[in-house]
Amino acid sequence: MKRLISLTVNGENHEVVVEPRTTLLEVLRDALGLTGAKEGCSLGNCGACTVLLDGKPVLSCLLLAVEAQGKEIVTIEGLAEGGKLHPLQEAFVEHGAVQCGFCIPGIILSAKALLDENPHPAEEEVKEAISGNLCRCTGYSNAVRAILAAKVKEEGER
Amino acid sequence: MEGLGYLLALPRFEYFSPKTVEEACSLLERYGREARLLAGGTDLLVAMKKGKEAPRYLIGIKALSDLDFIEYDGELLRIGALATLQSVADAPIIKEKFGLLATACKKVGTPQVRNMGTLVGNICNAGPSQDTVPSLLVLGARLKVVSSRGERIIPLEDFPRGPFKTALEDGEMVTEVQIPTPPPRSAGCYRWMTKRTEVDETLVGVAVLVVADPTHERCEEARIALCSVAPTPFRARRAEALLRGKGISEGLLEEAGRAAAEETRPRGRAEYRKLLTSILVKKALTEAWENLKGQEVVS
Repeated sequence: MKRLISLTVNGENHEVVVEPRTTLLEVLRDALGLTGAKEGCSLGNCGACTVLLDGKPVLSCLLLAVEAQGKEIVTIEGLAEGGKLHPLQEAFVEHGAVQCGFCIPGIILSAKALLDENPHPAEEEVKEAISGNLCRCTGYSNAVRAILAAKVKEEGER
Repeated sequence: MEGLGYLLALPRFEYFSPKTVEEACSLLERYGREARLLAGGTDLLVAMKKGKEAPRYLIGIKALSDLDFIEYDGELLRIGALATLQSVADAPIIKEKFGLLATACKKVGTPQVRNMGTLVGNICNAGPSQDTVPSLLVLGARLKVVSSRGERIIPLEDFPRGPFKTALEDGEMVTEVQIPTPPPRSAGCYRWMTKRTEVDETLVGVAVLVVADPTHERCEEARIALCSVAPTPFRARRAEALLRGKGISEGLLEEAGRAAAEETRPRGRAEYRKLLTSILVKKALTEAWENLKGQEVVS
């Protein structure tokens, strides 16, 4: 049976009609046109569908949309402010950390959750934080370097 | 939305979001085997997408916020059914006094899976390779089970009844895990080897808890539990008996490792899993014992 639900995505409220079986990923992509979160494996292994739920990285392919009500959902589209990229996004560009880009929204959101909680992570902590995000083309080295550089950059701008 | 254009969509089901444990239990009772409880969803929804499970009714319990707790009263640690694997791994009291449980929770899945999946869900999935179970077994954990008929406590050891089968009866749900404080002069750890796949499923998991006698010369008691090497996780009691009351030597730990391997009943890669068991048991015991000796020096 379809039902009307209300979701808070990137600070905005959206009312959408869903079935119980509709995942948050399907709502984001099909109803809201937010295609940054990807369907990679659809089984919770690859992390391409990662979004932040109340600040924590979760898998939108394994979350029923009806159960995401009342939570703050952040997708990659919510990071840039006023047309200016988030420092993490800038660092990824500067470090050439993106090739095909399919996994990057998930990696950046996992990294954002880490930096929000632990502003000065060690390299190992960065690797652990993005261990649930699989990349099949560039490898992880430049992503790790970008994440380590992003915080420094953000602080430099203050 | 029909979920069209996706590699894997969920099958249709009817969804309930009860507001109380009583309501959840009465739904479970009403729909019986056609209903499943949904907590973190990281096991159940995957099984549904793969077509391995097709419950007609899902009872979502995320709104039962009373079950989202980790409490310690100085004697008993209680972890509610909604506590995520990550919250258990990160809880200071668990890192301090129940370190092997924190280690095991951190082994499960990925950061995202641990932010969603719950400890109780991991236990109730009841697969042969549930990483959290060996540590809970050596810690002597019990489960609090509730139904409309009342409450009961099930020792964790009696809970798994075969691969993906549990001792839960119709209409029952696990609301918390209860774990007594480890004995004085004890140390434990969890060690494992995995397959190399995208989910790194455990090939052999070993939890040990070793208790020293007051002189710190002998092993008063040793508990050893294994997963992924039998239809369910289990205590390797013959290996445990070898160690009781003995002075610890490398030879004895090796013997205990071999004895534990003898107690396994692996289905696939049997020889390799037995070999890994003997090595990991010895390694885990050595580490726990060295930890204990360290405690003695400190105190």
